[in-house]
Amino acid sequence: MEVVCGNRFLSNNYTESASSCGDSKKSVIEEPQMGEQGQEVSNMEENKVVKDEIPAEIEPEPVVDIIINNVVSSFSVCSHLDLHHLALNGQNVELRKENGVLTMKLRRPPTTASIWSSGKVTCTGSTSEYQARIAGRRIARCIQKMDYNVKFKNFRIVNVLGTCSLPFAIKITPFSQKFREAASYEPELHPGVTYRIEYPKATLKIFSTGSITVTAPSIDNVQSAIEHIYPLVQEFGKQRTEEEMVEYRRNQARKHAGVTAIEEFEEEFSESELEDYILDQI
Amino acid sequence: MANRGRFNEVCCPQHPEAHLIEDYRAGDQICSECGLVVGDRVIDVGSEWRTFSNEKANNDPSRVGGPENPLLNGSDLSTIIGPGTGGASFDAFGGSKYQNRRSMSSSDRALINAFREISNMADKINLPKTIIDRANVLFKQVHDGKNLKSRSNDAIASASLYIACRQEGVPRTFKEICAVSKISKKEIGRCFKLILKALETQVDLITTGDFMSRFCSNLGLPTSVQKAATHIARKAVDLDIVPGRSPISVAAAAIYMASQASDDKRTQKEIGDIAGVADVTIRQSYKLMYPHAKQLFPDDFKFSVSIEQLPQL
Repeated sequence: MEVVCGNRFLSNNYTESASSCGDSKKSVIEEPQMGEQGQEVSNMEENKVVKDEIPAEIEPEPVVDIIINNVVSSFSVCSHLDLHHLALNGQNVELRKENGVLTMKLRRPPTTASIWSSGKVTCTGSTSEYQARIAGRRIARCIQKMDYNVKFKNFRIVNVLGTCSLPFAIKITPFSQKFREAASYEPELHPGVTYRIEYPKATLKIFSTGSITVTAPSIDNVQSAIEHIYPLVQEFGKQRTEEEMVEYRRNQARKHAGVTAIEEFEEEFSESELEDYILDQI
Repeated sequence: MANRGRFNEVCCPQHPEAHLIEDYRAGDQICSECGLVVGDRVIDVGSEWRTFSNEKANNDPSRVGGPENPLLNGSDLSTIIGPGTGGASFDAFGGSKYQNRRSMSSSDRALINAFREISNMADKINLPKTIIDRANVLFKQVHDGKNLKSRSNDAIASASLYIACRQEGVPRTFKEICAVSKISKKEIGRCFKLILKALETQVDLITTGDFMSRFCSNLGLPTSVQKAATHIARKAVDLDIVPGRSPISVAAAAIYMASQASDDKRTQKEIGDIAGVADVTIRQSYKLMYPHAKQLFPDDFKFSVSIEQLPQL
């Protein structure tokens, strides 16, 4: 079986009513094998259908889950804020004078915002771009309720952190030796290889267990970064041993326990409810 | 060019082609044809006194000042007033009369300080002059580049010493450099990455064998144990038994295994102290290596404790 990654990836599902893992994106990685197949595959469900029709010799295409863990966004409310006043009268806020930053935590969606007196706000902890926007608007609404003239300006996603776990382990030492310019591996400092790519701009941390962590300016960049790195990493892949399998299963169980909590939150959180809740003056 | 040289040299007005004889004693240049003294008060550039090689050379009068450091400083040709000798340079109370010894070389002050720091640090871990020189060159390059200006000079000095050791093929662990420096491991690591980016160089990956001889001799282990440990560590990495473990931890576990199988046993704590790894880390790597112990040992190793009786932690 030759392993040639065709790199045709689809399934840009941004809808929140999504598949099993709340905010994961499925990357269908194609390996054209005996014949051409699966070119029109665009969805997990269709993939399954194609699999049933395929004769038994062709192996199923590997699907890699990319889970977005954190979306950091930044916006401005366009007016000077009195942090001291906000700290005394606001709910769920904490003022740290040494940094000059007010921290406001939201319960739904579970996010944290750092507010400066200039009116700039940085919001972290969301798991999707849409959720980040909602959180930002909620923060602005909270500030508006305390009698400030706020506008919701310059909202932009600054950073996205995504993780994915490949189906195989990786030999990182030969990998780092092959890609010396882009990859940096210092076992004393960090157990993973730090691989930076220019286009799309992203930083990937590749671990020997096969997990990859990506930080990039947008969710699309995260997906294209994983797609970019998959063939490069695949040639250094190796089977996981039994101890690694034990660790892998333990990690997966822990991750899914955390993800189900987010799923429940997503279900109660429908779009129409939000639009009613947040007024359009902002 | 040849013509220009001719115009500069003095020559006899009547015999421009005549060869001039130089008389050093009187400082004259005399025309050989007519005897006219052409050059006057020609400065004698010979040495003023003779120095013999068998005499004590601590006061060589031909030399003024110490050896200059041409590559690494703007060449320091300024004149400084040295410390006084003799009685006249001290005033009534015994303090020296001329006290201003500062403002020697403003731009190079930081460089000189850093070189001194590097030299001190290297001295504490007995590094040879080649590594010190290489570290100095790296520091100078970084200093000239100016994109790491905001970082503390001591951090840059420690990081350049680390890189110099790596480049010479005898890497020292970050913890070893930390031990002789005031800077934290995190800061040295950050500066290390920044310097590599600024100078656009790469360094080789560390291997387990780089540290074997140093760790084993610090523990006082015989060469047979050291060779066995080197073989174990290399085999373990080749067979990929210990994926994702730092080479230092693997080396420490290999030393533990080899020493436990020989007469000279060492505890995990002792090895951990020398190598700078925690003893639980050694335990973790040892657990991974223990099942494959038979394949790891070299063929000609003399076991005083057989493989089955090796401790199983």
